[in-house]
Amino acid sequence: MIEVVLNDRLGKKVKVKCNEDDTVGDLKKLVAAQTGTRAEKIRIQKWYNIYKNHITLKDYEIHDGMGLELYYN
Amino acid sequence: MANRTDPLAKNIRGTNPQNLVEKIVRTKIYQHTFWKEQCFGLTAETLVDKAMELDHLGGTFGGNRKPTPFLCLILKMLQIQPEKEIVVEFIKNDDYKYVRILGAFYLRLTGTDVDVYRYLEPLYNDYRKVRQKLSDGRFSLTHVDEVIEELLTKDYSCDIAMPRLKKRWTLEQNGLLEPRKSVLEDDFEEEEEKEENEGIADKSEDEKDHHRKSPERERERDRRRDSHRHRDRDYDRDYDMDRDYDRERGRGRDRDRERDRDHYRERDRDRERGRDRERDRRDRARRRSRSRSRDRKRNETDDVRDRDRDEPKKKKEKKMREDGTDHPDPEIAEQNRLRASLGMKPLKM
Repeated sequence: MIEVVLNDRLGKKVKVKCNEDDTVGDLKKLVAAQTGTRAEKIRIQKWYNIYKNHITLKDYEIHDGMGLELYYN
Repeated sequence: MANRTDPLAKNIRGTNPQNLVEKIVRTKIYQHTFWKEQCFGLTAETLVDKAMELDHLGGTFGGNRKPTPFLCLILKMLQIQPEKEIVVEFIKNDDYKYVRILGAFYLRLTGTDVDVYRYLEPLYNDYRKVRQKLSDGRFSLTHVDEVIEELLTKDYSCDIAMPRLKKRWTLEQNGLLEPRKSVLEDDFEEEEEKEENEGIADKSEDEKDHHRKSPERERERDRRRDSHRHRDRDYDRDYDMDRDYDRERGRGRDRDRERDRDHYRERDRDRERGRDRERDRRDRARRRSRSRSRDRKRNETDDVRDRDRDEPKKKKEKKMREDGTDHPDPEIAEQNRLRASLGMKPLKM
């Protein structure tokens, strides 16, 4: 189980617990549950790399405590 | 300015009509070439021509959320705000299904509840195929009536959040609408008659089977569950008898007990039988015992049950629920509950 931090630099900072083999789409659903936005409207990025929904966190090498950028579509 | 709403347009739902589309999606549409080239200076008439050229519907797609022409035309309609008659014409026309859906969508966004139900429900009978662009760029097949169903029941479609629609039932209660009459009603009546004539005998048999299966299965389960209580024969017999009596007569003399029992039964379906139940009854303060007699019996046979437990069955007892929702740490348990509701596996510790 890892915990990732998502920050949208506008006041929303969420910590989400998830598995390493969860996909980015699952992570978006968890974030949506916590923040109240819709999962389809969330975009997770790291600098200019937009993370795709069907790839697991493990494949993106997202580790425990890592910070991701939260944007909206 | 190309993006400003017509100054003569009315406020919809208390705000600029274009605000029905969210800011980010709206900005994406303004920056799209279709909007800039084709939707510039459109009027109601020229809009119809553009609408006839549509060949798919959808919201935004792709990594950078490009809008579809359908979405651009929706925003255009919100900007110029055509008259209600024109919109109804869009819906009534039979030749172009995408024009129909465009009109229906616009009406759903801007019309009153009664209008929405009145004009959109006849479209349930249209079962033509339409092409829908999904958010990852692929096309999928759907039908006009499915789209209408989505408009009437869900609160989000094509990347636009729909305004709240009153339930049909409320409007019927207030007398503003008649109860819905489906076109298939005649077909249903025919089928019902057929069934009645043929299947009176068949039906009763089916019902009997239904009843026979469940209590038997449950009785078997209960028998298995209580098998370790053999030591205290009196308790066993008494409890079984009461339970069987209640269930068969369906009287539920001790209604609370029955309810609790059913509650246990459901939980058992998910996890290990019996042993957990023992532990839960004792440990969880939450579950107050409703029946005094059971309480007394429980206290009596505590020692007996402890003895039973020390046997190798200990391993099974410790097993938690599969989806981890009863993890000792409340935070993790809550996370697991959320994950289960979203259809994901529990957290791996």
